[in-house]
Amino acid sequence: MILTGKEIKKQVKNGNIVIKPFDEECIKPNSYVYHLGDTLVEVLDVGDKKRKPKTRKIKIPQKGYVLEPKRLYLGTTVETIGSKEYVTSLIGRNRIAKLGMFLQITADLGQLGKEHRWTLEITVVQNLRIYPNMEIGQVTFWDTKGEKNIGDVEFYATKNEPFPSQLFNQKAK
Amino acid sequence: MILTGSQIKKEVEKGRIIIDPFSEEDIETNSYDFHIDNVLYTYKDDVLDPTKENELVELVIPTQGLTLSPKKIYIGKTVETIGSKYFVPIIKGRSSTGRLGIFVNITADLIDLGSIQKPTLTLHVVLPVKIYPNTKIGQVTFWVAK
Repeated sequence: MILTGKEIKKQVKNGNIVIKPFDEECIKPNSYVYHLGDTLVEVLDVGDKKRKPKTRKIKIPQKGYVLEPKRLYLGTTVETIGSKEYVTSLIGRNRIAKLGMFLQITADLGQLGKEHRWTLEITVVQNLRIYPNMEIGQVTFWDTKGEKNIGDVEFYATKNEPFPSQLFNQKAK
Repeated sequence: MILTGSQIKKEVEKGRIIIDPFSEEDIETNSYDFHIDNVLYTYKDDVLDPTKENELVELVIPTQGLTLSPKKIYIGKTVETIGSKYFVPIIKGRSSTGRLGIFVNITADLIDLGSIQKPTLTLHVVLPVKIYPNTKIGQVTFWVAK
């Protein structure tokens, strides 16, 4: 079952869901709208088991920054988001999807656990101008079945900046 | 409702979820990580046509890795046989693959109830990416059906 907007609000109040900052205006019928942080990392070369990745940091100016196709960008949510009770899923907003943005690329599912600013995996079909703090996606919360066995904090959940993949050096299991 | 990792393990033990081979190390808090089989297929032609048989080329991922090209779609499958008559599986990439710009599936992440097989992966990359045999490339979630 997916939580309704009203239920999200209730669970934020009683501490089962963390969304900081929290603004009632961002509550939708069954999701919460999050915003794009002002720092992006463009992955220029993903590297491999022998080569380190090459990245560059981009500060998104107030007048916006144009994302280009065939490039890979990592961003973050402005909000610190997480829950030990409900599974989170992060997707892009419909209005952004209509402009050809993929967000996430493949990993929309969160794990139960520590709240953090989530890394966003972004690529675009056509040139697309983005702005700092724009409404970029929505997060949903899902009920679970079974015992919640939250072990050590997941590696990526300790990162609050756009953080590149660790697949090749196995820091994240 | 989505099954927690502990519940996935329980249902595998009861035989209500099939994941074969199954390793406790691959249980996440609310999903299970799967690996990529080392045989991939790509299309021979540049223009694809759904009304025709599109000729495939077989690729085997060598130990030193295979570089995927952004210009191609790659059809792969999981190492694991996965399925359930009781819970609906949905496959996803992992954070580690998404941040490399790898799409693990294109648009069709939902698996039918009762379908027990090695799920097909439709791989696409934003930038050239080298993948290695048996990489933990995605995760499967299980959902309660009503």
